[in-house]
Amino acid sequence: MQKFLTVTGMHRLLYVYNGFAIFIIMAFMCLTQERINHSMTARAFLEQAGAVPQSSSIIFLETTLAFFTLVLIGRFYIKSKSRSAKYFLFAAEVIVCMFLMCVLNLSYDGVILLVAADLMYKHEGHRQEYTLLIAMICLYFIANYNMAILQTKIISFEAYASYYNADAKSVILALRNTFYSVNIVFFVFYLVLLVKNKHEEKERIRLLNERLEEANQRLRAYAIEVAQMAETRERNRLAREIHDTLGHALTGIAAGLDACIMTLEIAPELTKQQLNKIRDTAKKGITDVRRSVKKLRPDDLERLPFQEALLEMTKDYSASSGMEITFDIFSWSNNLRQDQEDVIYRVLQESITNAKRHGHATKVKITIGGNENYLLIVIADNGRGCEDVKQGFGLKHMRERLELLHGTIHYWSDEGFIVEAMIPLNREVKDDKNFNSR
Amino acid sequence: MLKKFLIAVVVIAIIFLYYMASRPTTLTVGIFAGNNWDVPQGETYAIIDEVIENFEAENPGVKVKYVSGIKKEDYSEWLAEQFISGSEPDIFFVLADDFNLYASIGALMNLEDFIAGDKNFSVDVYYPAAFKFGQYENISYALPCESTLTFMFVNKTLLAKEGVAIPKNDWTWEDFLKICRKVTRDIDGDGVPDQFGCYDYSWQQAAISNGVKFFRDDGKTSYFADSRMEEAVKFIMELRGLNGGFEVSPKDFDVGRVAFRPFTFAEYRTYKPYPWRIKKYSSFEWDCIKMPAGSSGGNISVMETLLVGMSSRTHNKNLAWALLKKFCYDEKTQQLILKKSQALPVRRDVIISAEAQEIFSWETRDTAAITPADISVAMDEAIMPFKFKNYNAAMLYADTELTKIIAGIVPFNNALNKLQKEINALLQY
Repeated sequence: MQKFLTVTGMHRLLYVYNGFAIFIIMAFMCLTQERINHSMTARAFLEQAGAVPQSSSIIFLETTLAFFTLVLIGRFYIKSKSRSAKYFLFAAEVIVCMFLMCVLNLSYDGVILLVAADLMYKHEGHRQEYTLLIAMICLYFIANYNMAILQTKIISFEAYASYYNADAKSVILALRNTFYSVNIVFFVFYLVLLVKNKHEEKERIRLLNERLEEANQRLRAYAIEVAQMAETRERNRLAREIHDTLGHALTGIAAGLDACIMTLEIAPELTKQQLNKIRDTAKKGITDVRRSVKKLRPDDLERLPFQEALLEMTKDYSASSGMEITFDIFSWSNNLRQDQEDVIYRVLQESITNAKRHGHATKVKITIGGNENYLLIVIADNGRGCEDVKQGFGLKHMRERLELLHGTIHYWSDEGFIVEAMIPLNREVKDDKNFNSR
Repeated sequence: MLKKFLIAVVVIAIIFLYYMASRPTTLTVGIFAGNNWDVPQGETYAIIDEVIENFEAENPGVKVKYVSGIKKEDYSEWLAEQFISGSEPDIFFVLADDFNLYASIGALMNLEDFIAGDKNFSVDVYYPAAFKFGQYENISYALPCESTLTFMFVNKTLLAKEGVAIPKNDWTWEDFLKICRKVTRDIDGDGVPDQFGCYDYSWQQAAISNGVKFFRDDGKTSYFADSRMEEAVKFIMELRGLNGGFEVSPKDFDVGRVAFRPFTFAEYRTYKPYPWRIKKYSSFEWDCIKMPAGSSGGNISVMETLLVGMSSRTHNKNLAWALLKKFCYDEKTQQLILKKSQALPVRRDVIISAEAQEIFSWETRDTAAITPADISVAMDEAIMPFKFKNYNAAMLYADTELTKIIAGIVPFNNALNKLQKEINALLQY
C-alpha cells in the first residue's frame, strides 16, 4: 500500500485503472452489439443510434492499439529530455487520446485526465499550465459537443444501454458514472500527492540551504581562528627569533660589556680584544636579524631581481584576473634598499588589486620614473573610479608604509582611478621644490 | 541484429502485399429473394446471376457474391445486422423504408462525386421521379434500379357488355364517374347491386391525381386542408355513394363483376402473360390504362422505385460504383429487367425501345389500351412516394380519420383542417 502512495505509484494506478475502465466499456459495447445482432433488433438499434457502429473486432483492435500507444507515448514523454520532443510527444498523446475517445464513441472521457496527469507529472514551468489548459478545454469541448466540429457520427452510450431493460439500463449508466467518479477521485488524489511531493522537495531544499549556511558560518569562524592562530604562531616565531638572535646577541653583548667595564682599568688590552669579540657578536646578531627579516619577504622578491619580480607579479595577476597590465619605465634606480623594494612591491600589488576589485578595470598602466633623488610611481586604470574616495585599509596601509620611507601618496579619479606614489631615494624630499606631485 | 530484423519485416511485408494483390477482389451484393412488388416470381435470382456473370466477364479478377434466400420481410433486419457486425455488402438493394435511415446515419455512400466524375454516366436517362427517389436532402445516395407505377385495370368484357368504350388514357374523373354510375346495378334482381364501377380506388390515389401534395419534403408539415384535397374527398364520397352503401369485395372483382381497379404495373406484368394469364382473371378480357385525371390535376400516379446503394465503408469504391452502374445504368441490364422482371426499367430509352414494343405486345397493337410511349409519359408525370421517418405513422393516422370522414361518421365540414392540425402535431416528434 505504501508503494501506491507515492506519486509514481499513483500515476501507474491511474493508468491501470483507466485501462481497466476502457476495457470494460469496450467489452460492454462489443457484447451489446453482438447481442443486438442475435436478438433481431439491429434495425431498431441503428435508428436509435443514428450512426453506423464499427464492428466489434475493429472496436477491440482499435481500442487496444490506441490505449497501448497512449501508454507508450506517455512513457516516452516522461523520459524525454528535449523540449521540442516533449511538445511533439504531448501533441501525439492528445491526438491518440482523441482517437481513443472517438473509438469508444465518447463513452468514457477519463483518458483526458490521464493526459493531464502525464503533463503534470513532468511539470517544469515553460507555460505548461497554459498548454494543459488549452489541451483540456479542447478535449472536453470535443467530448461534450459530440465532435460537432469534426462532423463525426457518434453513437451515444445511452443508445447501447437502451438495448437492455430499464432496470439494467439504470445500473449500467450508474456503473459508468462510477467509473467517471472513481477516476476523478484518483486524479485528485494524484494531484494532492504531487503537490505534497513538490512541497516536501521545497522544504528539503530549504533545510539543505540552512545547513549549508550554517556550515559556511562555521567555516568563516574557523578561517578567522586559523588566521588568528597563524598570527599568533608568527608572533611566537618572531618572538623566538628575537629571543634567539637579538636576545642572544644582546645578552652576550651586555654581559661582554659588563666584563669590559670591569677589565677596562686593569687590562685595557684584554678589554680591546673582548670588545672586538663583542663587535663580532653584534655583527653576527645583525646578520641573524637580517636573515629573520628575509624570511618574511615575498617569495618573488627573494628569488628574482626586483624588476623581474615586479613583472612576474603583474603577469601572474593579469593572467589570473584577465586585466591587461602595461609597464612604462622611464628610469630606474638600481641601488634600491630592500625596504624600499618591499614598499614599491606592496604599493603596486595593492593598487592593481584595488583597480580590479573596486574599479572593475580592464586595463592598468604603470609608469615608473624619477631622478637620483626620488622615484615616482603612477598607477592609472580605466575602471569606473570613485567620486568620493574613502581611505580604506589598503590605502591607509600604503600611506603608512610610504611614510616610513618619508614618501607620499596621492590618488584621485579621472578617466579611471590614479594612484601616485613618491619615494625619496637618498635624502629627505619633503621640502624638495623640484617635485610637485600634482 | 537490427538489420536482420528489418530485412525480415520487409520480406514479410512484400509477401503480404503480394498475397493481397494476387487475391481476387470480391464484391458483395445485398439482395432479397423475390421482388419488391409483392407479386409472385419464378426464378428469383435469374436477373442478378446474369448481371454478375456479365460484370465478372468485363472485370477479370473480380468476384461478385451475394447471400441468397433472404426474404423481403427479413431483409431490413439482415442488412442492419450486417452493418453492425461490419460485414455489410459493398452494394445493396435499399428498401424505401430504410433509405432515409441509411442515408442519414452515413451508411450510404454519397454518390455526387461519382456522378460528377463519370463521363459515361448521365442522370438524364432516368425518369426524374425515379432518380430523385435516391436522394436525401438533395444528395444522391442510391440509384434507381427498377420502378413500378399504378395503372387502372379495365374489365373489357364488362364494359363491352354494357356498351361502353374503353376510356382513353387522358380520361377524367367525370368519365370515370359516368361509367361507374352506368355499370353499377342489380343484375340478378335480388334488390342489392351486384355489378360495380370500381374496387379499391383509394383517397390517396384520388388526391394524387388531383395534384395534392400531402407533405412538405422535409416531412415537418402537411397540406391536408388543401382545396384539391377537399375535391378528392368529395369525389371519393360520390363514388362510394354509387354503391348504395354496399361494400365491394375482392371476390366480386375476381369473378369479373367490377369494371375498374387500380393495378400496379408489376401486377399487370405478372398476370397478363402466360402462365398467370390463365390462372387469374381468365373469365374476362382486361387491360390497363392510366389513372383518371382529377379536375385540378392530371393522369398522375405514384411511382415506386427500388434503389441500389453503396456502402460508405466499401474498400473498392470504384469497382462498387462500376457494379452499381451495371445494375442501375447498364442498358443490357435494364433490358433484362424489361424482359425478365415484373417491374419497369428506369431508363427512358429502354422503355421506348423496339424491344419494349415487342415485349408489351401481348395483344395486337391496335387493340392494346396502353403503349410503351404511354407508359413513358406516365413515368415522366409520376410523382415519387414520401419516405421521411414518420411518413407511415402519419399516413396511417390520416387514413383512419379520412375513412371516417368518407364513411360519414365524422361530419365533413372543417374536418380536413382539424386533420391537418393533428397530423402536423404528429409530425413534430
